Amino acid sequence: MDAITVSNLTKDFGDVRALDGVDLSVEEGEVFGFLGPNGAGKSTTIDILLDFVRPTSGDVRVLGMDARIDSMSIRERVGVLPDGYHVYDRLTGRQHVAFAVRSKGTGDDPMELLERVGIAEAADRPVGGYSKGMKQRLVLAMALVGEPDLLVLDEPSTGLDPNGAREMREIIRGEVERGATVFFSSHVLEQVEAICDRVAILDEGQIVTVDTIEGLRTGAGATTELAITVDAVPEGAVTGLMTVPGVEDVTTDDRLVTVRMGEGSKSQVLHELERAGATVVDFATRETSLEELFAAYTEDEDETGDRDSVEAGEATAADTVGTVADGSADPAEVAR
Amino acid sequence: MSFTAVARKDFSDARRSRSLWVLSGLFVLFTLLMTYLYTVVPELEGADAAELSALGLLGFIAAPATLFVTLAAIVVCYKAIAGESESGSGKLLLSLPHSRFDVLAGKVLGRWLVLVVPVVGGLLVALVAVFTLGIGFPAGTLEIAGFDLPAWPVVYAGFVALTALFALVYVSLVVGVSATTASTSKAAALALGAWVVLELLWDAVPVGLVFVANGFALPANLAALPNWAAFVSLLSPSVAYSHAATGLLTDSATSAVPFYLQGWFAVVILAVWVVVPATVGYLRYRAADL
Repeated sequence: MDAITVSNLTKDFGDVRALDGVDLSVEEGEVFGFLGPNGAGKSTTIDILLDFVRPTSGDVRVLGMDARIDSMSIRERVGVLPDGYHVYDRLTGRQHVAFAVRSKGTGDDPMELLERVGIAEAADRPVGGYSKGMKQRLVLAMALVGEPDLLVLDEPSTGLDPNGAREMREIIRGEVERGATVFFSSHVLEQVEAICDRVAILDEGQIVTVDTIEGLRTGAGATTELAITVDAVPEGAVTGLMTVPGVEDVTTDDRLVTVRMGEGSKSQVLHELERAGATVVDFATRETSLEELFAAYTEDEDETGDRDSVEAGEATAADTVGTVADGSADPAEVAR
Repeated sequence: MSFTAVARKDFSDARRSRSLWVLSGLFVLFTLLMTYLYTVVPELEGADAAELSALGLLGFIAAPATLFVTLAAIVVCYKAIAGESESGSGKLLLSLPHSRFDVLAGKVLGRWLVLVVPVVGGLLVALVAVFTLGIGFPAGTLEIAGFDLPAWPVVYAGFVALTALFALVYVSLVVGVSATTASTSKAAALALGAWVVLELLWDAVPVGLVFVANGFALPANLAALPNWAAFVSLLSPSVAYSHAATGLLTDSATSAVPFYLQGWFAVVILAVWVVVPATVGYLRYRAADL
């Protein structure tokens, strides 16, 4: 049985079609990332899963139950971190979690959950004084009440610093190990990469693609860029590098050699440089960021897969720096 | 049914805000002021202070209490659901397994408690004042289970219960209004509009109907409205409340008037007022996209 099944879902708000024939299925036990630019319809889809909003047409089943008719039973088994929520400023963190515990009729200890999300020390303070990140942790704690079978997290890393985002991912992993399914939406794509089994990209109310992160990279013709600093660029190094399998382009600028490659061995590139007589001082890799992949998928169809559009997000992409001693760095590790 | 969890959260929220304490303080002050006026005004008019009675005091309190209860209900309740929808806390609330009925019922219960605590507290203070000032209750007795018991505690409790019911009417009305919209300013405007119609303009409705029924002319004796017009007048919650209070506090023989003008029927009218606006609000809320 799928944790979530959405078939041919359409939602109109007046004249505006927010969702247009969305099909989606999330398997039990997987971490499913729901991507898309702001306004693509991610929150509307989640709102429909939870019966906050009613579909114009289509069939939506959560944990095998009808999202409208069985909404109460669904919400008993689902933990939710909604988007655009507001907390009760005058109530304390502990009161919030206790309210969730009472509402779900479970025996959880509110303090234990607050400790898990790292805000136990603020448990008895009114949440009006919490930072955005603390509120996000608090609502996550409320979502974790009752060991839900499914976690629906709408933009969970909003307001979290990198450390908070890492802790959020650790909690999500813990929940998956326990057997929960996780469905979360995000437009902060680097964070999706670190944790998702599969992702769907939604754009203008339609599913553009559903795939693994790897699959997305291949599909969009992703490349890796190596920025290698050497003591001096030897004669003929560029020609030599071009012969390395996978290398598509080489440019040099003073002591910096920039190599763009698709599938291929990075160490072979370094070996080739050293063979030509250069000493590698430092190097950095930059994979096509999800941001760029994303742009490739969500821009106009005729541009999809086009190299120019893949590179469009260069200015915003996070460069990943490693040293020779460390070998190549995984961008996701640095994002943590 | 999880509405008690919603009510409890709502009440804790109000307890943490100042509204509960401000209202309680105001209502206690109000009853003390009324008690004082009740003892002073007859003296000014040269009447015999011995005519003062505790039941008379309650009757004296009843009319201005409607003003306090209705306005306090609007302040306490207009944001009840519209505020949650507007701010987004409604999403947090409905992420948990509460039906929209639970939310509405919990809000009515929670906000009603916020209103009832000051009202009961104020009326208790009035009771203490009655004993302190030596106004005293009438000596009548009731026979309950073979015992002759003083009647006044029953009447007093009945008055408190009736006032609590009246508070519930307005809480239900304003929470019902609040459930029809996701805009708190719209909810406030609708609630105030309802208040103006029911509290300020309603007196004109039966007179207007009599005027129309009389061939667009006022009848010779305006004071004696026909029974049906008196009934229309009773449809306003505060008129119904005052009417029921009068029936309770004064031992008037009422067999001469038709049943729909008797005190107990005014209680039925109040009960209908509790159910109808909340139901209308619920139906709108149930169908709404948050």
